[in-house]
Amino acid sequence: MEYRHTRVMGGPESGPDWFRHAIRGLAAGRDGRLYAAGDSRVMVFDPAGKVLRTWATAKPGCCLAVAADGRVLVGEAGQVEIFSGAGQLLQAWRGGWLGEITAIGFHGAETLVADAAARCIRRYDSGLKKLNDIGLDNRTNGFLIPNGVLDFEVDAAGVIHAANPGKHRVERYQADGKLLGHVGRFDGLNPEGFPGCCNPTNVALGTGGRLVVTEKAESRAKVLDSGGKLVAVLGTRIFDAGCKNMAVASDFRGRVYVAETVKLRIFVFEPARAEAV
Amino acid sequence: MSKGFSRRQVVAVTGLGLTAGFLVKKAEGQVVWQIDSKSCVNSKLGEVGVKVCDLCVKECVVTQSAVRAVNEFSKCGRCCVCPAYFNVKSAVGKDGLPSEKLCPRDAILRKPIGEVDPNDPANNFYEYVIDEAKCDGCGKCVMACKEPAGLGSIVLRVRHDLCVNCNNCAISQACPKDAITQWPALKAVLGLSETA
Amino acid sequence: MSRLWAVVALLCALTGSVWAQALPYERPVDRAPQEKSIGGGYKTPDVQKPLPRKGWLEITDVVLLAAAMGVSVWIVVKRRNRRWLMALSATSVAYFGFYREGCVCPIGSIQNVTVALTDGHYHIPMVVTATFFLPLLVAVFYGRAFCGGVCALGSLQELVLIRPVQVPKKLDRALGWLKYVYLLAAIGFAVLPLAQRDFVICRFDPFVSLFRRSGFAHMLALGAAFLVLGMFVGRPYCRYLCPYGGLLAWFSRLSSRGVSITPNKELDCGLCTDACPYGAIEKMRAVRANCLYCARCYEACPREGPLVQLRGQA
Repeated sequence: MEYRHTRVMGGPESGPDWFRHAIRGLAAGRDGRLYAAGDSRVMVFDPAGKVLRTWATAKPGCCLAVAADGRVLVGEAGQVEIFSGAGQLLQAWRGGWLGEITAIGFHGAETLVADAAARCIRRYDSGLKKLNDIGLDNRTNGFLIPNGVLDFEVDAAGVIHAANPGKHRVERYQADGKLLGHVGRFDGLNPEGFPGCCNPTNVALGTGGRLVVTEKAESRAKVLDSGGKLVAVLGTRIFDAGCKNMAVASDFRGRVYVAETVKLRIFVFEPARAEAV
Repeated sequence: MSKGFSRRQVVAVTGLGLTAGFLVKKAEGQVVWQIDSKSCVNSKLGEVGVKVCDLCVKECVVTQSAVRAVNEFSKCGRCCVCPAYFNVKSAVGKDGLPSEKLCPRDAILRKPIGEVDPNDPANNFYEYVIDEAKCDGCGKCVMACKEPAGLGSIVLRVRHDLCVNCNNCAISQACPKDAITQWPALKAVLGLSETA
Repeated sequence: MSRLWAVVALLCALTGSVWAQALPYERPVDRAPQEKSIGGGYKTPDVQKPLPRKGWLEITDVVLLAAAMGVSVWIVVKRRNRRWLMALSATSVAYFGFYREGCVCPIGSIQNVTVALTDGHYHIPMVVTATFFLPLLVAVFYGRAFCGGVCALGSLQELVLIRPVQVPKKLDRALGWLKYVYLLAAIGFAVLPLAQRDFVICRFDPFVSLFRRSGFAHMLALGAAFLVLGMFVGRPYCRYLCPYGGLLAWFSRLSSRGVSITPNKELDCGLCTDACPYGAIEKMRAVRANCLYCARCYEACPREGPLVQLRGQA
């Protein structure tokens, strides 16, 4: 399967309406829209890349997720802000129980948040009662994330796919915390595996059970099939070499978005042949 | 031999004394050379894909150089596949780890720490200690540990017990980034020259 | 007008690109695992922070320097004994030379002192200040006591001088000016702004590489050449190049109690003049500015033995 690099959004010449310091989170909505969090704002784009909406967040956003009902959850240091699709602040979860929130996902009515400070994924029910922690039950007392970001995504079956960069794996967890298995291993320079000290840094689910991951130190994005086999490398050397923790998202058409963290651009990749939805 | 002092001797002594007094007023107890890791090209953030600078080894007048790579343990990511310890570009061995080490002098020691899992090397934290007797400060590991590849916990430092404190520090003459400068000893030793 | 707009647009574009390039590269999140998260009772080892040389050792150096000059004066002015002076020379070469690796020495400190006097931001260590002034202070009263048996560079040359030849007076005098040229050059290089400043004296110190047993091959070769030359020509570096020697010569002119040729008991035989490898005895009198405190004149003097005995009895 091949991907084409179709578009670049933003960049150093984008002026004051673009992000100035960081793009940390990307999410693809079911409506084909792209949501991006960075600096202290959220930007919403239509599929053509036009800015539909921009609103401010209380703190710099580290990640964001779009719920089935259209609400937008933005993870920040120590809090999660919940906005309506129109950018209205509906609610904010604050308090000492939240560390550095670097990923948010949904499991039915429950919310899962990745806490990079605690190196685990926390699962809350709709009443914000903590049900359990995921990824703590191992010798390293949590995920190995020297890169500082813990990223995961939940698939339709409720399985959590979480990047464990220190182990060079993408791990699959059940919502109750049981480790189902993993894909990936360290393999030097071979693109079939994950290189460097800690990769992949970010993960997203593509269509057909595929995994989209980003790597640092030789910044690149890759598409893997559900068994972890390499499908395609999306751009080597098109991202700045200093990139780290590039957020990634994939929408229902298989389109892949990668947030380049140094020059603040969003790269868009599309499958060479349109897939059946 | 007269016991008294000539007038010219008195004048000379007074002159010397006044100059010495002036200097003593602004004298620092001890001054030493130290490397600022924010300027050193091997650890400077943002300089990615540049060649490792090994002038600290080549230029220093001390045999084996007075510069050492130092791992600030509190900043170390404790990775299983440390890019400063392993040559992460070498072929992967049967154990799933790179087959070659990066250090040309084999000066880095690696050991699993914490609640060690003997079956899965990836499931552990590791401690990387630099053997100062072997290290000569060539900077290879420093560059490999730098962001974004690593956490930048390894930096180059002048070892004051080895440095002979040349006026004309040969490294400072050659350093392309002017990263090695003189500091009052207390600051350099306590690391105040580096705020990060 | 359109030109103005073009300039404005260009400026905007420039600042815009600069603003975009100047993004601070920061660590995204500092998440190095610490003792608590590593678990298993792990204790983080201390990061080594070797201290510079201990303060009291530095002070010891200054005290030893002062003491060695005292001993030098005592041996040469009171005991008038060359053998003892050779012992002192060997000790100085061993300590100030090989053990302290030729640093700190008053010769190089000329430039540190110059920089400290002209640059307000320069830190000069106390020890360097003391090292620079002590020998000058001694010179005001006793002459170049530092040069005889204390200075590691001088002592080393003193020890290798086995077949001294007399340098023709005119040539000796002409070459002697070189050290003042060197002194001025050293001061000139020291007052330059930081970027161009160059500690030439230390850089071209011919013996420091030998003392450190490392360094550039060409400097080692230069040192060796000086030593070979120094086997015949007395102390070539001290007499013709040493800039501190120039300073000491000035201050020594004021001294009243330096080397004296057998007071009241001369034979006018001229043996001492022939024995002095440095051309420092003129008209049967030691020239304070050039006398390097080597005590060779006493050794050559037929009257010296009895004199010492007489003094000992008195």
